[in-house]
Formats: sequence, C-alpha cells, structure tokens
Amino acid sequence: MADLRLLDRIGDYRSGVLSWVQPDGYPASRRCTVEVVADPGGAPRLALAGTDLSVEPGGRACVLFHRHDERLEGLHQMVVKGTLADDGPGGVALIVEGIVTANGRGDTDAMPHASAPLHMLAFYRAGRSAARAYLTKRGSPWPPIPFDEIGRRVAEHNARRG
Amino acid sequence: MPPLELPADVVDVLRRTFTAEITTVNRAGQPMTWPSVTYFDEAEGRIICAVSIAYPVKAYNARRHPQVSLLYSDPTGSGLDRPRTVLVQGTAEVAEVLDYPPDIIGLFATVADRQPDSSRFTGNRVVRRLFNWYLFQRIALRITPDRVLAWPGDDDGAMPVEVLRRG
Repeated sequence: MADLRLLDRIGDYRSGVLSWVQPDGYPASRRCTVEVVADPGGAPRLALAGTDLSVEPGGRACVLFHRHDERLEGLHQMVVKGTLADDGPGGVALIVEGIVTANGRGDTDAMPHASAPLHMLAFYRAGRSAARAYLTKRGSPWPPIPFDEIGRRVAEHNARRG
Repeated sequence: MPPLELPADVVDVLRRTFTAEITTVNRAGQPMTWPSVTYFDEAEGRIICAVSIAYPVKAYNARRHPQVSLLYSDPTGSGLDRPRTVLVQGTAEVAEVLDYPPDIIGLFATVADRQPDSSRFTGNRVVRRLFNWYLFQRIALRITPDRVLAWPGDDDGAMPVEVLRRG
C-alpha cells in the first residue's frame, strides 16, 4: 500500500474516475471532480462532485487518477480505495482506506520510464520476480515467443488499416 | 459473435480513445480501476486488453467475477473533439496469450501506434528479452459488451443514453 501523503498529488489531476459495484454485479464508473478533506480525528475523505453519482453509501469504491500525454508517455496513476459515505445534502464522499500505485513504489504516482533509470531498475526487478512466481505457479514453461513473426504481423495489420 | 450495432460517434470513441478505465472486482467486493490500452475488435464485437503475467490481478479478478466495465472518458491524444463519454459493462473471458491470434496482434499494433516511443523497447532484441514478462508474456481479457451507456460530448450534466443492451 502506498504512502497516504500521495493524496497531496490529487491536485495535479483535473478529475478522477469513481468506480463502484451495482446491485446487478456490474461495476460502473463516472468521472468526477475531487477534493481532499483532511480529518485530524480519522481517515481523510475525498469529496466527490459530478453528475448522476447515484451511488449507495456504505459500498466499496475506488477513485482512479491517471494522466498521459499525446504520445502516451508521461504516465502517472494511482488508485484510492475506500468506502462510500454521505457527505452533506446530496453529497458523496470516499472514506480513504489506502492507495495503490502499481509502479513498484509507494512514494510516487509516476510510472517507470527510461528517463528515470533507478525507478526502471526497481520496476524491472520487482516485475521479473513476480513473473517468475507466476511461471512457477503455472508449472509448465511459457512457449517461445516468435518476436519477428509478431513484428511482421503487426506491420501487416497497420498496413491494412492505413 | 456478431458486430455491435452502435452509433458512429460511440464507435469512434471505442476505436480511438488511448486508454479506457477498466474496472474489475476482487474477492472482497472491492472494485479496482486502472487505465489500459484497449483494442476494439469490431468484427467480433469485443474489446480486448491484456495484462502482464507479473501483474495478473485484473485477470484473476475477472476470472472470479467476469462482470467488468470500461469507461472511455479521457480523449487526450485521440484527436476527437469533445467526444462522448462511454461506459461499457460486459462479460470478460480470460486466457493466457500463447499463440498471438489476430485480436492480440490488433492490440499490439494499437499500442505501437498510440505509444510510438515503445518501439524502441519492442524492437530492441536485448530489451525485449529483459522485459519479456512485461511486453509479451500476457493474459488477455476479451470483453463482450452487455450494456453500453453514452453521455453527450460536452457532458454538461445530462443523463446517459443506453445505446446497447444484450441478453
């Protein structure tokens, strides 16, 4: 679980994506604006504002924050997990229970990139170790990967699409 | 699976949005949402994404709880002007990517197109072997939409319109 101080980064995002689970079992999501509200006596909460946030208080939910540039670089992301609660008349809040970054570190919302070699190295080591654990649990080895054939077929796919 | 009958502007969103926000539900009933590049396999009426074997939680969640959702709400890079926000709720099939069928090739091509700098990795023999576990050893989620909702392009508080329901 990441450091709760990452809540300070929420101001870097224009909005977040609230997700919850409907009674029929399907998840649903809605983009909303978010304000962090500190509570010296308890857990911080995210005050959520958006249209048709017809969600039931008490349910589990999360808010994803992410952004990228026009070349799908400069990736930043983090997920705040928690429970939905009423937040004044017509308002909804997420009571924060934790933050997940999925980038190999708990102190930043930046995704690893070649321009940050130490972060990339940490990501590589953690990812390789996790992949080995998956393959060990799987039992049989992963089949050989036809890199050149994949490259050729990707090029053909792109040529067909123009 | 037949192609989906969707409005043209919704199809544009599914084709061109760089990342969808995909939500799966874990054993504790906790929804978890992450951005993911998706490929709209229009001929089969499905949406494809894939996760690394190093980070298989989305796949495990979807095996246990196949109802998933995809929100298309960030147009950055898509070239779309004030596109509709689209929510797809569907059923996921999960399978390791072992033989690189056309939909997976379509997904790889989509990643290469949207993230052109990634070709420095995938085209480098040393790097692609080092990051094999991230780039190529993957688990696919093939999502058949059951319900699709769309909001207006300016999303000024209007309620969504249901543009597809199956089953």
